[in-house]
Amino acid sequence: MAEQKTTQEIEQKISEQLAAEQEPMVSGEDLSRERAAIAPFFEPFPILEGKLKIQRQQRIFCDPLPRKQFEQVFAFAHQQAGFTTFHIVIGVDGGDDLIFVYILSNADKIVLLLKQSVPKSKPVISSVCGVFPNALWHERELVDLFGAVVEDLPPGPSYPLPDGWPAGNYPLRKEWKVEYFDKVNMTYDPPQREEGANE
Amino acid sequence: MLLAVFNILIFPGFLFLGVMALIFAFLDRKIYARLQNRIGPPWFQPLADFLKLLGKESIIPAEADKRIFPLLPVVTLAAVTAAYLYIPIWGPASLFPFEGDLIVILYLLTLPTLCFFLAGWYSTSVYATIGAVRTLTQLFSYEVPLFMALLAPALLADTWSLSGMTAFYAANPVLLLVNIPAFLVAIAACQGKLERVPFDLPEAETEIVAGTFVEYSGRLYAIFRMAIDCELVVVASLIAAVFLPFYTEPVWLGFALYLLKTLVILFILALFRSVMARIRLEQMVKFCWKYLTPVALLQIVINLLLKGVLS
Amino acid sequence: MSKNITIPIGPQHPSLKEPACFTITLEGEKVVKAVVGVGYNHRGLEKACESRSYIQDLYIIERVCGICSHTHSTAFCQGVEELAGVTIPRRAAYIRVIMAELERLHSHLLWLGVAGHEIGFDTLLMYSWRDRELVLDVLAMLGGNRVNYGINTIGGVRRDIDPGMIEQITRMLDIIEEQNKYYIQLALSETTLAARLAGVGKLSHEDALRLGAVGPVSRASNISDDVRAIDRYAAYDEIPVRVVTDDHCDVFGRAVVRVLEIMESINMLRFAVANLPDGELTVKVPRNIPAGEALSRTEAPRGEDIHFIRANGTANPDRVRVRAPSEANWHSMAHMLEGDYLADVPIIIAAIDPCYSCTDRAIVVDQRDSGLVKTFDWQGMRDYSINWYKSQGFDASKIKIAERKLYF
Repeated sequence: MAEQKTTQEIEQKISEQLAAEQEPMVSGEDLSRERAAIAPFFEPFPILEGKLKIQRQQRIFCDPLPRKQFEQVFAFAHQQAGFTTFHIVIGVDGGDDLIFVYILSNADKIVLLLKQSVPKSKPVISSVCGVFPNALWHERELVDLFGAVVEDLPPGPSYPLPDGWPAGNYPLRKEWKVEYFDKVNMTYDPPQREEGANE
Repeated sequence: MLLAVFNILIFPGFLFLGVMALIFAFLDRKIYARLQNRIGPPWFQPLADFLKLLGKESIIPAEADKRIFPLLPVVTLAAVTAAYLYIPIWGPASLFPFEGDLIVILYLLTLPTLCFFLAGWYSTSVYATIGAVRTLTQLFSYEVPLFMALLAPALLADTWSLSGMTAFYAANPVLLLVNIPAFLVAIAACQGKLERVPFDLPEAETEIVAGTFVEYSGRLYAIFRMAIDCELVVVASLIAAVFLPFYTEPVWLGFALYLLKTLVILFILALFRSVMARIRLEQMVKFCWKYLTPVALLQIVINLLLKGVLS
Repeated sequence: MSKNITIPIGPQHPSLKEPACFTITLEGEKVVKAVVGVGYNHRGLEKACESRSYIQDLYIIERVCGICSHTHSTAFCQGVEELAGVTIPRRAAYIRVIMAELERLHSHLLWLGVAGHEIGFDTLLMYSWRDRELVLDVLAMLGGNRVNYGINTIGGVRRDIDPGMIEQITRMLDIIEEQNKYYIQLALSETTLAARLAGVGKLSHEDALRLGAVGPVSRASNISDDVRAIDRYAAYDEIPVRVVTDDHCDVFGRAVVRVLEIMESINMLRFAVANLPDGELTVKVPRNIPAGEALSRTEAPRGEDIHFIRANGTANPDRVRVRAPSEANWHSMAHMLEGDYLADVPIIIAAIDPCYSCTDRAIVVDQRDSGLVKTFDWQGMRDYSINWYKSQGFDASKIKIAERKLYF
């Protein structure tokens, strides 16, 4: 209770806040802040030239990188380039590869999408939970839905698939079809013919 | 003998108290609803709830104590009904007045709380256990101020019987004004006894589901609910008898006055319930010992001094 | 008590409106450890979206959440429009904002009631939900429905707002503003309320940043992260947005932020209906969306809502990912619970305004061929229920339903 302020103080503070003018708006086509945000990347990573693209205001997309390169760029992004807020990691099935999209933003609220691509046959990535604790549930989701192997992921329950889900079934991979899944018995039987065709 | 059986079973005992409890439960819910801008239940809702519960299956958990578990609701109801027999209703005295009936009533009213504790403890489920512990913790905080507040007017009247107090205050009605602090303390503390908001921690629905009663169902739960509703009537009557000891002749007018007094107290309790949030256990203990107990103590000191001056 | 007790709160519990499981370890009344378990509501929405066209997906996306359905469909439409390279008409952008702010009004009023209920203050629940009905009536008038309004379509909006509706909105805003002033006073000065909320569920500024809290939770920890102000989507580039922040870092701060945001929403709505431009409602969007990726953000009532859409040049998206605000706030939940009293657990959980189905997203149960699906109109449904109760031995046909109308 000691730290609770008096009513008047709170009211005064709130009215001050509400009276404060809003920030000046950046005009529609000005991309200078975005250019400044990606400039530091090119010196240590010349390979990013042409891969790091400004799609529109506040959106910087990066083409998929292999695991090792990605880890260096990711570490640089949050340690030195100022992209210190982690939003989410998204899994995407890119055919032969699995692509994991890491979304970061900086103090200017510019959003950076860094991607790493790993082969579907051996989808091993490292956890970023040590740096960003809020990646935990998203990474567990990658394990369940994409079959990613996340190294150094803290132990805990699986998310979000239910108990008794058949092992080796990763629903968000493109080859997994919902028609072949039996919801009652929790079994997945694709027709033999198609399985043969895949092999 | 026959009259005694009539008194215990019909009037003013079991049946009459049951009807009163249902009416009070309805009024409580209706006032609460109107204060919240709702329409509220129809008059027969508490009776319908009671009958519906009676028709449901009673489940005794496998882990619970088979003998004590079904016994507790009955003991609670019996204790509450017994306490009601010693409270004056239509006149200056109750059915069986004797020197010390006030103390007996207070102890009979402690029994239900102990039963709630045992009910939670013997249910052995975690929610019920936490509810039981909360019941007991709460008992230790509100019981002392409640007892002191109710005994202070008796000290001034120099008697431990309700009929004696009624006679004393009928002779000196001005002295009733001295007891106003004790009245306020009693109103606040009795909400802990009745486990109502803001002191409904033992059955806080959003925290521990239903607390002590979580494992009770069907008939057993119906009896428990009935006992709780009866307790509301008994406590309201007791506060009315101690702090507003007025009576009139003839009997029916005295009875109407009794209803009026208890309804005023019911309205105050419903008002408290609708304007307050449930407070935390440690806040409740702090409130009872920091504010209620000193006020009750002060009342006792005042009454003792006043008694010395008067005699 | 020296022994620790472990109690489950959930998956079914009176203080949780939807399933989630909090395993709370108690030492006496103090929480020493809290484990959050979610995932009971995962409905496989993203897989469903991949096999349907964009316009079909819109209706799935709208059903991610019942409370903030509009914000999800706005985010999805914006993403698809960005990929297709179209700009929606200004009038459509304004109507989107009007719906979004009305949704915020009703969501925050709903939260206020739930918060009151969690701390045993049911009177607040009854009052704020009574006022919320006014907002829902207006939403039903604008969108034809109380929760899923179906206003958005890819390339604009589906329904127009006429002057009569604007008049109704203004009248409703006057009432809500008057009521909300009372709630602000209540939140700031009522002692039992302040005693229950202050100092509970602490989340410091640094922790909020580290754990990635969003929405009113982070704004109560003094982080100015309102997407309306930083991303300026729809018509927020013209409508003045003032971000409400507070430095209490506790449940009390979150309540203050929410009641003040209601005030801000009312101001924005007044501005939007006064400056509603004329013009078309939709632009044409091609059926096949060119390949590409878009990240779309909106400010839901509960915080930042992220949609990631990857298109492959066909009529179906390649990947849709919905990151609802509650999903971001789970991470700070265990941190907020530990060290507090058991009595505070429900209000701390409620203070992030959790939306479990948002967290877990939707599945579609397809029963088209099974013959189980029937469609009813209102009267048909009533007749059906009367017949059903008759078969149970209870004749309900004599009960009359009051004509429902706007009562202001």
